[in-house]
Amino acid sequence: MQVAATLRSRPWLPRGRLGFFALLVAYAALVLACLLTLLAAGDLSWGRAPWQNLQKTVAEFAHPSFLELWFGPERLEYRSDDGTLLRVENRQQVEANFLAALARATWTTFQIATLGSLLAALLALPLGLLSARNLHAPRPLALAASTVLDVSRAIHTLVFGLLLVGIVGLGPTAGILAIALHSMGTYGKLYAESIETLDMGAVDAVRATGASPLQVFFSAVAPSVLPQFVSNHLYVWEFNIRDSTILGLIGAGGLGLLISEAVSLFQWSRLATILLVVVALVTVFDTASRRIRQALL
Amino acid sequence: MPDQTDAVIDVRNLRVAVGGRLLLDVPALRVRSGERVALVGPNGAGKSSLLKVFGGFLPATQGAVTVLGRPFGGADAPKLPPSQWRALRAEVGQVMQGLHLVARLSALENVVLGALARPRTMPAWRSWLRCYPPALCQEAIEALTELGLAERLHTRADRLSGGERQKVSLARLRLQRPRLILADEPTSALDPSATLQACQALLAVAHRATLLTVVHDPALLPLLADRVIGLKNGRVAFDLPLADLRPSRLAELYDGAPERGVASVGAGRCDHSANAAPQFHTPASPPQERPALA
Repeated sequence: MQVAATLRSRPWLPRGRLGFFALLVAYAALVLACLLTLLAAGDLSWGRAPWQNLQKTVAEFAHPSFLELWFGPERLEYRSDDGTLLRVENRQQVEANFLAALARATWTTFQIATLGSLLAALLALPLGLLSARNLHAPRPLALAASTVLDVSRAIHTLVFGLLLVGIVGLGPTAGILAIALHSMGTYGKLYAESIETLDMGAVDAVRATGASPLQVFFSAVAPSVLPQFVSNHLYVWEFNIRDSTILGLIGAGGLGLLISEAVSLFQWSRLATILLVVVALVTVFDTASRRIRQALL
Repeated sequence: MPDQTDAVIDVRNLRVAVGGRLLLDVPALRVRSGERVALVGPNGAGKSSLLKVFGGFLPATQGAVTVLGRPFGGADAPKLPPSQWRALRAEVGQVMQGLHLVARLSALENVVLGALARPRTMPAWRSWLRCYPPALCQEAIEALTELGLAERLHTRADRLSGGERQKVSLARLRLQRPRLILADEPTSALDPSATLQACQALLAVAHRATLLTVVHDPALLPLLADRVIGLKNGRVAFDLPLADLRPSRLAELYDGAPERGVASVGAGRCDHSANAAPQFHTPASPPQERPALA
């Protein structure tokens, strides 16, 4: 309905089905253009030995490194070509150390996501209130607020991270701020949308009983807006847990650092362990958050 | 001649214009305490607008309205401070199309909200924690049970049917204990048997209050009114005791009425000849024996 209305307001677009068909053709042309230019430049290649590489990678991934905690050799000897003993490693001990580091990194990732989300939620609250159309904030202020939100949403967390690592240095602080600055845009938009769906009829009905502004807020506004705010918060938080696993790649702390280390050293079995942890973390949090959000709405 | 204090509503030279369109032009109107007044008239005649002015949801452009001794109105009239507005609203019970239930609260909680303005009963924290005084809950349960909603007490308002919602707002009215009730088509969403039930509920709430109802079904007039005000194009067409109201006056009111307000007289003429003229049932015919509801 909304889409049809917006389509009709564009005079350069044909009406009705024809308009939709024109959009479809335009989309197909765009996809073809992307494909053909890539082909023409010769950038669409599979590399030298994709099949063998895939097999090798899968084989390594099939032995995640944490298995060495039980099955690893307790005495792995590194020798030079002439047989001199260079170094002896207890693989089980090494793996235990790695898992401890992994646990610390996971906790850091969780810290970054949690504190970053909370900071973003607080920063976005006034901006979301200003940009909600039905609250009729002064126009320049509303425009400024929505511009700030749009800009912060347009810039990726990683870009913010790169900038902030330069400003506040390596470590979780940069990660927290990067998450906060990017999520602020998402929060603001979600806040504004929740407020815009507020049923003013219900608010008026409660006002009609002679209730004071505070009573109106807690009886009519809060019951409809607060569950949505909490739901939005959980959703973005969940999203940020996924996002913050990468932040370490640029030195902003957390699991990403271990990922980049494992990738640089071609330690695919360690990467497998890290990814298992990431998947477990995200799945557990997603499930919990979805349950809570379903109960709220 | 009733004295000034007896008037629950006193309208003087009221004019309401929205966007350059004149919605209401009522030179004088007075409703005395305890009266049962029905507002009738075609769509766009200004019935709902008049109730909204009385309820304070539509500002008057000119003139003054005194409701329950509190004067307010257009630019030339005194302004009511917010606390006076709240005191007024607490005494004016409103059932209107634009007023909804709070969707996420249960039927019971919505009814309890009717008592928000009672002094020292419902501080804001109670709404916040959804912890309402047991006495109020009991009152709300009784009100809902009487309307046949005993099994829907804890159903969320957005899961109730349209008729059930209407009954919940009537129950809320009961907890509000208003002195004046403004009801805009309180039976619009109800089936015939529920209509009768709701009318009786409304009358029970209005036991000692003044009642102003917008009535679309002439068959309900004998039940809800002892005085009928006909509105057309924002002006009072007639103002008669029910006993003096002839069916012809009512048919005349609805016949050939322009859909829009005063400003568009002649422009927006709408042919009502296709629609059957509304039937007027004499008070002798009980409402439940009506052949069908329009």
